[in-house]
Amino acid sequence: MSFFGFDPTKPDSGRGSGRRQRDKKAEKPLDFEETYQGFGEHDQEEDDYLNDETFGNATELGTDFDFGYGKGSLESDVAPKSYADHGRSYASAAVAGPPSGQTGYGAAAVQGLDDGLDFKPMESLWTNQPMSMPMPQQFQQPQLPQHPQHPQQVLSMEQLERQQRQQQQQMGIPAQQQGFVGMPPQQDMKPMGYGYSPQGYMPQIHQMQGGGFPNQPQSFPPQAVPPQNMGTHQYQPMPLMFNRQMEPHQHPQQQVASPPSNQQQHLPVQQQLPQQSIPIGLSPQAQELGPQQQQQQSQQGSNFPVQMDSTRNSASPRSQALSPPHTPRDSNSRNGRRGSMRRQQEPLTEEEHKRLQIRQAKVDKILRHSGVMTPRDKDFITRYQLSQIVTDDPYNEDFYFQVYKIIQRGGVVGESNKGLIARAYLEHSGHRLGGRYKRADVALQRMQSQVEKAVTVAKERPQKNKENFDGAKEGVLGKISSTMNSKAPRRQLQIPTQKSEDDESNAAAIDEVVESLNGVELSSASKARRRSSYAFRTMDQSAVLCRSGGRKFVLSLIESVYSEVLELEAQLRSGKSIDNKALWDALHVADDSYEVSPFISILSFDKGVKIMPRILNFLDKAQKLRLLTLFFSELSHLNIIVTSSYKTNPHPTDVQLKKIELFQSVFLKIIVSFLSSSAEFLEVISLLLALIKDNNVSFISTSKIGLNLITVLISRAALIKQDINRGTVLSSSEISTWNEIYDKLFTALETRLALVFPPEEYTNRVVAISSSPSLLSANGEQTAKNHYYDHSYIWQFFASLALSGKLNHQRVIIDEIRDEIFGTISKAEELAKSTTVDEQVALYQRDKMYQDLNLFLNVMGLVARDGEITELK
Amino acid sequence: MLFFSFFKTLVDQEVTVELKNDIELKGTLKSVDQFLNLKLDNISCSNEAKYPHLSSVRNIFIRGSTVRYVYVDKNMVDTNLLQDAARREAMSAKK
Repeated sequence: MSFFGFDPTKPDSGRGSGRRQRDKKAEKPLDFEETYQGFGEHDQEEDDYLNDETFGNATELGTDFDFGYGKGSLESDVAPKSYADHGRSYASAAVAGPPSGQTGYGAAAVQGLDDGLDFKPMESLWTNQPMSMPMPQQFQQPQLPQHPQHPQQVLSMEQLERQQRQQQQQMGIPAQQQGFVGMPPQQDMKPMGYGYSPQGYMPQIHQMQGGGFPNQPQSFPPQAVPPQNMGTHQYQPMPLMFNRQMEPHQHPQQQVASPPSNQQQHLPVQQQLPQQSIPIGLSPQAQELGPQQQQQQSQQGSNFPVQMDSTRNSASPRSQALSPPHTPRDSNSRNGRRGSMRRQQEPLTEEEHKRLQIRQAKVDKILRHSGVMTPRDKDFITRYQLSQIVTDDPYNEDFYFQVYKIIQRGGVVGESNKGLIARAYLEHSGHRLGGRYKRADVALQRMQSQVEKAVTVAKERPQKNKENFDGAKEGVLGKISSTMNSKAPRRQLQIPTQKSEDDESNAAAIDEVVESLNGVELSSASKARRRSSYAFRTMDQSAVLCRSGGRKFVLSLIESVYSEVLELEAQLRSGKSIDNKALWDALHVADDSYEVSPFISILSFDKGVKIMPRILNFLDKAQKLRLLTLFFSELSHLNIIVTSSYKTNPHPTDVQLKKIELFQSVFLKIIVSFLSSSAEFLEVISLLLALIKDNNVSFISTSKIGLNLITVLISRAALIKQDINRGTVLSSSEISTWNEIYDKLFTALETRLALVFPPEEYTNRVVAISSSPSLLSANGEQTAKNHYYDHSYIWQFFASLALSGKLNHQRVIIDEIRDEIFGTISKAEELAKSTTVDEQVALYQRDKMYQDLNLFLNVMGLVARDGEITELK
Repeated sequence: MLFFSFFKTLVDQEVTVELKNDIELKGTLKSVDQFLNLKLDNISCSNEAKYPHLSSVRNIFIRGSTVRYVYVDKNMVDTNLLQDAARREAMSAKK
């Protein structure tokens, strides 16, 4: 039997010098006595398989072990042998245990020695497919069932099968015998046991080659042998192997019997080496023996092979017939393969050679550590790594990343989380191109299934922890602490958790202290609410806070509001129905037990303001209206009003101005959108009523925010009124209510309308702060001329006030703010004349001033232009 | 998972990593894992005179425990979202 179409029955023709050499050898029997060093004369322990290798007995101190594709082989050009073993691992070798039936190797080895040497280069070496070496083929083929992970075959399966069939026909071998690699059909030596236990051949040969075995009995260093041609390189290590591969304890009888002959055999080999580069002669054995020998080679090199005897004695004539099937040497076998290979025998040019070497080096580098782990091992590791990362609830555990990506993509939900992880892992592992077959999609699918499995593992994990069950796999890849891991990192601050009761009583105590210290006049110690706040004009925020439950309480309230909102948003994402009751309760809008509603105090904090739009998303209209009514009726308590009023806060700081800005951009927007989208006329009026009834309107009007709020309400009411005038008729009761409320508002503001304008000192300060990053810097005044205080909100207020008012109202307004009107005009004219500032800026400012002023004047049919007020045409 | 989640969003962004041995490395964040090990590409060392051996290094793997700070550009961080994420984390820790 043979592979690759080799016909063992034909006389071998392609052996030139090799045969001569063999003949020579045959004439001169080996004298083993001369080389044998007695290594095999002591008993070996049973099953100390790879012992020396494991404990490094056979190596010098400081040797770098290389469990991958050895460095040695890299240095020595090529050693494709190792390719055969990628799927193998130490583990599998160990499990397999020492192989049996090794006599065959001895026999084969002798045959190999006896066989003529062929110095033609190995075809496989010259292919562009580094993986497709003859040896792998030889070994792989029968082992295919056991080694599905070895896909490289130069020959297609069909070809191989065809060849096998042919050979079977020729030789009449039962098919099952093909399982024995290189087993010659005529072979009658039972002990040769070619029934490979296929498991254990490993690429350690390269280690040896690297010179890690000082006690090898060899007289020639493998590297020193001058290679006759490229093809022989790979077999240089073989002699070494050959010498050490045999384990005495496995073949005790033979040991005893054979040493002399073995050594005899050996001698000529060594002698030949210098001139002939013997390795090729040995290679076939190495190939054949591979699986077991390579296991054995890792044992002490001292066990001189004994098994050779059998062949020595009996097989010399047969060896010719035996050897061809195992070896690629024979021309027939080569021919058989050649058909499917590229032209190989042609001499390579220098350039090709170089390229090949470079290529080979690359491949070697890649393969250097390949095969250390089996794909199964890798899968296992990958799954465990992944299981630490993946989660089946990405929006909960990987919230930031998920939402951030959605925001970045503009709200489009992209690839699934698992897909992303799979992709990322593929890229890191370098398999994104899909390996040899360039099947990137397959690789991705595989990784995705890995992720899927990992998710399952991740799901199981918390349960394990719960049961306090240390799963066998837990912490396989290092200790995974249950108290401290990536999901629960160590905390820098350990905050003792107090009971909520203590909390409340503490807060209450603090409140009392604060109250007494501030001397805030309270109508009573009872919690009777006193929400109207004419008298209340303190800047002291803590007083307000303490009246609504204390700073701590409000802050915790904000947090609970946040968590409710987050919860609701999570529900929204998962498509569940939404229940906002908890949120509504957390807002304490309906809670009357505090003097100042906690909701108002929530708005004292930036984060409380920022959450408002998200809160309103979850409230229905009635709730929104209720919330806004509360807001307007307790406006005076609102910290931002106090801050933004020039009366209570004549010297605003940078931070405060930013706060005002924030409030305006966030909360005012909500109110405007609510009013303009869904509020009915009466609802707007009721909000205005709440504002007028419970607050000091005059005080509120001195603050920018307050004035804006009033403006929004009355202008919205006016707009609805106009709309309705066009369409459905407003009921008379509604109109009368509106007029009534307007009168009230106007009365509250009358005689104080001029106070709406902040004093120049204040505006200058605001301008200075907002225009320069550092407060009140030296050039503050200069920039003040470029940036000026925006009065437009004031003119908007007067415009809407005048719009809804009757003629007498308008007259009162003009009377009261006459000075401001003319002051603005004269200022604008001054700006135009002034030469100190940039002309364009001045012109722009002037136009802006007129524009703002005309907002108001136009309502009454007037227009201010070029320093004069005329009738609007 | 918050920090892991956060650093994942910085992948392919330029960050500066200060190590506990005072070496400062600027580079593109390529990868981060649950231990906050970092993989940087195209690194440059801020103090090349002091650590000349790093001048020939192009990419580097940093064990997470050796990192003191990671400097991040301001606009790479969505602070509001980060606040939310931190709250969620706290919420789930309470449960």
